[in-house]
Amino acid sequence: MANFLAQFQTIKNSCDHLVIAVEDVSDLWPIVKDWFEERLPFKRASLNNKTRNPVFVEKLAAEFILTTDSRLRSRFPQEQLLFWFREPYATVVLVTCEDLDEFRTILKPRLKLIVQNDEREWFIVFVSKAQPNNENATKSAKKVYARLEVEFSSKKRERCCKLDIHCPEANFWEDLESKIMESIRNTLDRRVQFYEDEIRKLSEQRFMPVWNFCNFFILKESLAFMFEMAHLFEDALREYDELELCYLETVNMIGKQRDFGGVDRGDDQAVLLNPGNKPLTQIVQDDSFREFEFRQYLFACQSKLLFKLNRAFEVASRGYSFIISFSKALALHENILPFCMREVWVITACLDVVNATASHYVDGLVAPDIEKEFYRLQGDLYSLCRVKFMRLAYLIGYGTEIERSPVNSASLSMLPWPKPAIWPSVPPDALSEVFSKEKMILQETRRVKHFGIQRKPLPLEPSLLLREANRRRASLSAGNMFEMFEGRPVFNEGSGSEASTKMSPSQKVRSGVMSRTNSSPGNFESAIDRPMRLAEIYIAAEHALQHTISNPSLWKSLSALEEFEQKYLELTKGAADNYHRSWWKRHGVVLDGEIAAVCFKHRNIDLAAKSYEKVCALYAGEGWQDLLAEVLPNLAECQKILNDEAGYLSSCVRLLSLDKGLFSSKERQAFQLEVVNLAHSEMKNPVPLDVSSLITFSGNPGPPLELCDGDPGTLSVTVWSGFPDDITLDSLSLTLMATSNGDEGVKALRSTSATVLEPGRNNITLDLPPQKPGSYVLGVLTGQIGHLRFRSHSFSKGAPVDGDDFMIYEKPTRPILKVFKPRALVDLAAAISSALLINEPQWVGIIVRPMDYSLKDAVLQIDTGPGLAIEKSHVIEMESYADVSQSAADVGKSDAAHKNGSLAIDKHFEQLRLNDGRIVFPGWANNVTSVLWIPIRAISDRLARGSSSVSPQRQSIVDGMRTIALKLEFGVSHNQIFERTLAVHFTDPFHVNTRIADKCNDGTLLLQVILQSEVKATLTIYDAWLDLQDGFAHTRKGDGRPNPGFIPLVISPNSRAGILFSICFEMSNAEEEAKAPQPDSILNIRYGISGDRTIGAHPPAVESPGPEVVRQDLIFRSALVLKRPVLDPCLAVGFLPLRSGGLRVGQLVNMKWRVERLKDFEENEVLKDDDEVLYEVNANSDNWMIAGRKRGHASLSMKQGSRIVITILCVPLVAGYVRPPQLGLPDVDEANISCNPAGPHLVCVLPPALSSSFCIPA
Amino acid sequence: MGREVSESCVDSLLTEMVSSYCDRFYANKPELAARRIEAIGFQVGHQLSERYTMERPRFSDNLEAIKFICKDFWSELFKKQIDNLKTNHKGTFVLQDNRFRWLARMSIDPSSEDGDLSQDNSAPVTENKAAQATSMHLYFPCGIIRGALSNLGIPCAVSADISSLPACSFVVRIKA
Amino acid sequence: MIVCVAVVGHQNNPLYIQSFTEADDALKLHHIVHCSLDVIDERVNNPKKSGPTLNETFLGLLYPTENYKVYGYLTNTKVKFIVVTTDLDVRDADVRNFFRKFHVAYVDAVSNPFHVPGKKITSRTFAERVSTIVKSFGLSSAG
Repeated sequence: MANFLAQFQTIKNSCDHLVIAVEDVSDLWPIVKDWFEERLPFKRASLNNKTRNPVFVEKLAAEFILTTDSRLRSRFPQEQLLFWFREPYATVVLVTCEDLDEFRTILKPRLKLIVQNDEREWFIVFVSKAQPNNENATKSAKKVYARLEVEFSSKKRERCCKLDIHCPEANFWEDLESKIMESIRNTLDRRVQFYEDEIRKLSEQRFMPVWNFCNFFILKESLAFMFEMAHLFEDALREYDELELCYLETVNMIGKQRDFGGVDRGDDQAVLLNPGNKPLTQIVQDDSFREFEFRQYLFACQSKLLFKLNRAFEVASRGYSFIISFSKALALHENILPFCMREVWVITACLDVVNATASHYVDGLVAPDIEKEFYRLQGDLYSLCRVKFMRLAYLIGYGTEIERSPVNSASLSMLPWPKPAIWPSVPPDALSEVFSKEKMILQETRRVKHFGIQRKPLPLEPSLLLREANRRRASLSAGNMFEMFEGRPVFNEGSGSEASTKMSPSQKVRSGVMSRTNSSPGNFESAIDRPMRLAEIYIAAEHALQHTISNPSLWKSLSALEEFEQKYLELTKGAADNYHRSWWKRHGVVLDGEIAAVCFKHRNIDLAAKSYEKVCALYAGEGWQDLLAEVLPNLAECQKILNDEAGYLSSCVRLLSLDKGLFSSKERQAFQLEVVNLAHSEMKNPVPLDVSSLITFSGNPGPPLELCDGDPGTLSVTVWSGFPDDITLDSLSLTLMATSNGDEGVKALRSTSATVLEPGRNNITLDLPPQKPGSYVLGVLTGQIGHLRFRSHSFSKGAPVDGDDFMIYEKPTRPILKVFKPRALVDLAAAISSALLINEPQWVGIIVRPMDYSLKDAVLQIDTGPGLAIEKSHVIEMESYADVSQSAADVGKSDAAHKNGSLAIDKHFEQLRLNDGRIVFPGWANNVTSVLWIPIRAISDRLARGSSSVSPQRQSIVDGMRTIALKLEFGVSHNQIFERTLAVHFTDPFHVNTRIADKCNDGTLLLQVILQSEVKATLTIYDAWLDLQDGFAHTRKGDGRPNPGFIPLVISPNSRAGILFSICFEMSNAEEEAKAPQPDSILNIRYGISGDRTIGAHPPAVESPGPEVVRQDLIFRSALVLKRPVLDPCLAVGFLPLRSGGLRVGQLVNMKWRVERLKDFEENEVLKDDDEVLYEVNANSDNWMIAGRKRGHASLSMKQGSRIVITILCVPLVAGYVRPPQLGLPDVDEANISCNPAGPHLVCVLPPALSSSFCIPA
Repeated sequence: MGREVSESCVDSLLTEMVSSYCDRFYANKPELAARRIEAIGFQVGHQLSERYTMERPRFSDNLEAIKFICKDFWSELFKKQIDNLKTNHKGTFVLQDNRFRWLARMSIDPSSEDGDLSQDNSAPVTENKAAQATSMHLYFPCGIIRGALSNLGIPCAVSADISSLPACSFVVRIKA
Repeated sequence: MIVCVAVVGHQNNPLYIQSFTEADDALKLHHIVHCSLDVIDERVNNPKKSGPTLNETFLGLLYPTENYKVYGYLTNTKVKFIVVTTDLDVRDADVRNFFRKFHVAYVDAVSNPFHVPGKKITSRTFAERVSTIVKSFGLSSAG
């Protein structure tokens, strides 16, 4: 049956559409032909597919052929059967007839005859030529047509239709088409049925020896072809798939293995898209199908259909897997195929599929994920092609030009060498090429990586080509190959190029031999016996390839280095671009890296850098450091060449921060050197360099540094350097960030001094200026290396793991510094509250109490106010201060201690010098409360005045006040300042009060002097005398001293004592007149004081009081006023009665007093003009409200009996019996006042009258 | 059913951990202690999820993962499943365990209350003391759940609350 | 023969990668493993492709390369195991079996309290276990 093949193919090629037979009974075809054919192709046909489901087919092509046509004539029945698909699918019978009888007699039998053969699907088109206006003609035509229908149409099938030439009915053509369709459908179904039966019959016996694939094939393909003609591509495709399946499992069965094919010229070029490439007759020889051609043929058919179905994607995916599996098949038969046939075939196949699918592919037609996958497949095809291409290139000696990158190594070193039966040997005429090749090999030097990185180049070959090639040569056995190579261990590892260079000496030896052997070809033949050298292998392979490769363009791209690189680039780009549009981003990026390598070689550095950037980003992003370490140096080199300092530096830093293991220390040092050199060279535009990955820092473990407000401190930080060597940072600064308030912002601490970072851990201390209160965390570390500013954000990874690093838990950055809110750090207070002696050197005590804050070398500035002076002559004493209760307990003891200047054992005591008002504290006083004793003297020049009944006012506290301004500077750098002004109270020891106690009738007056102790100390009076003023004299010629029996007189604190003096009036005489009148008399007291300075007044401070207690006497002088007349009234104060009606609360009332002079003074009485009196009204302020002045002067003449009335307006505030206001005359001794009429002791105040207002006018 | 020794060991280990973190390491910083305990739980859950999801197909959605926690994971840990699972279908799940093992043998000792407190206000005090103590013990399981889920690729926040003592419900909020 | 096994974290970062070739060309294996992540991404990102093996941990053959085969395995915790083998007829069952053993070893390794999740696995025991598993795989596929 195989002999039908040729015919079969011709038929297939001749016809590609359905045929519709036209039985033109009454020569109508010429008339209607055009009308019929303009219906073609049928717009919309509905057919049944193989599974008998209706399918709609667009534009079904078809052809009307008259049955008389030769093409439908004379077929042998069985071939008719075989090629049934080409037979007509419908028969249209064209008839016309006007006359019924004619129809009955002639036409009907003829038609019957035609349609009796029910093989074919037929129907009748009745054409009426009748003019529409011609009544009877049309009528008769109708009649005939009716007749016709009766005869030929049946119930189940309508087989007639009528065409009016002159006025065709509207729906005629639809009717016609539907009829044609119906027929075609039926025919198709029947034929499909037939083929399927045949095929089933055959496939049942497929495993029997009689089985013949050829028949099966023809049937199957006929069916497929028929489907194709009917535009049922799906079904056609299915047929081909089944056919392929069947082929693979029958023909490829063991034993049935026939010749494989693929040895013809041009077979190296895959034909995956052109079924008609080879006539089937060539493919099939004595009904065995050659696998090589036939499988490609099948795939071609399939792909054709797929393209018709717009499924370019499927072509690609099927294509890829087909190529893979087919290249396996090629591998099986490699020994019969030409050298490297397999590689070449794959290359061409891939390119075919890629181009075809790419051209057929329309974007957006398929779902996005399909689209992505389509591009992936394209990428796959490209890269497969690329690999094979590189393999060929390596074989002919371009290996050194191929980048030894991971991707190339991965794809090539795992790809086995071609295994020809016999490795090609050098053609005799190629020696010159061999030499040139050798020269090339010798000259080529492996490019050494930047930074002088030494790496063993990745292999591009599965095993050493040299050995492989020689092993596959006829005359050499693998055995002696081995021992000849074990001699040279260098061959066991490394690339071919290495091997060749190592081999060079032996070549030198050989070259002589070669030149000799050239002469005689005979010798050359014998040269086979010795192993080929690399150059020879290359050349041999080149020549062999030249024979294999029939495609000139492919050969061209292998013929020269530039061509190779161009092709290589094209393939790589193709793969990369497609991968980029697919899911496989990584593949894309990696291939970009390969492109970059080529660009770099061609000094297209910009492009190279960009691509390398991408690759590095990819690897860095996912932490594939090993791979990154391979690419990063290339990037760095590009950047260096481009003079991109920032990029270069960051690359160096990244290199340094990779795993230590990835580079030798020497290389790492090289990186660092680069950084440092560049940093110190002139950088045009210095950009801050981020070294976060390299230099990390952290606070020291443990609690944060705690400072008081305003204190500076030193912050110590751990810095981890990833540099292999020490590196010098010209400056270093570290920012602190306040955790509490953001706006507080960032404080930078800088250490301008150069710091040297050793590799690994470093401790760095920075001095910390005073910060605002709050807690701070470490911010960013910045610094300067030469002109290079660098930055590091990252806290130490290397820092000691404190517990929860291993938990994936966002750890809050630990505060490194706490600054406390301002608070009192120290307190200064006066040690005593009671008064000190005025005008005497006294110790004033200042208690210095540190509040858990050290007063280390604190300085106190003392500044005394007006009227106070520091006794420079004395040293200042400082002693630790026991708290009050204790000191109170052993006051005596401490007292004694001070008396003899010896210290108590448990106490510190120290004498300090004051220099220009500053005192430096001793060390022991840092943290203990201490008291500072300062010798001072309060100066007041005015004489103390005693008070008498005449002048009762006493000196006020204020003029005893003195102030000491204290300023304490302390803290780490005396930054803390505490200021306080202490008030110290000074006073005279006594306050003196005198009164005339009595007046004797002999005129002696008893003057009583009352001494009030003003100090908290015991006073002892040793002596007292009185210097009297004029007009007074001491009685009985004495020195005016009191009775010595009283002396000495001891006055304990706050007690009073009295001294009596007897004096008398003194007659003035002339010589008394002469000397200046003495205004008032002076009281002199010599006294001693014994007191404790911790309590109050005490003996005056003396320079180094000796051990034995010396009593030091002090003199106190006070002025007294004595006044005449003594003890007889000279003024009378009378209370004028109130008006009747009594007083009411809230009622104004006038109080009146009358003051009258009882007697006028002696003329000789010389006094300050006394014509006015001072008055004063005293009233209890809660009982009375005084309106107007309480105190004032009223003029009163000196005449006896002269009088005035003093009126005071006042309001009683409470009801009941209250004491009325009293009028007093402060200037006049009570003794000189007689009260008559005397004022009432109490007055009655009535409750307020019921009134809305309290104020009723008097 | 007889309790196994290991179980009681785990119980006492848990209580010991809680007490040592609350009373010793972070005596006066409960929130810090809680965080640490939770973190430990996180790691445990992280590793357990690795082990217990062996041999099972990957989860197609969050609900599946949560169900896994409720069923297999829980019964691996506690020999029982979560009793009730509720969700608002917006990423919040409530897992209720009516008899949570680690609370089963926990009780508040009333005598620990100082007697002088009058009865009316001593009750609430007991209450919230109990709440504090138990909630401290619940940070660990919360951490476990969070760790397991986040290792399954579901970042979430887990909190627990106690309705009535042995019963307890965990609220899982998946971070969108 | 298995030439390389790798554990890749859920951020596609290598956690453990070990090659079993005597030549020091580990880098190319790194490359193969790294690129095979593309396939895993693809499988996971459009589940339609992963088809029947939907959500199964064993991802099957990743690369139909004609020289070597790459198999993948994706745990529930988005950790990937990747095996590169050079023998071209491998039974899936063997690979599944291998991955099962490997997964157990991995779980034991990361359950070590001193192992930091997301960091490289440095445990020596793990390495030993892995190498034994790899050897045993060699045997099983050979026999």
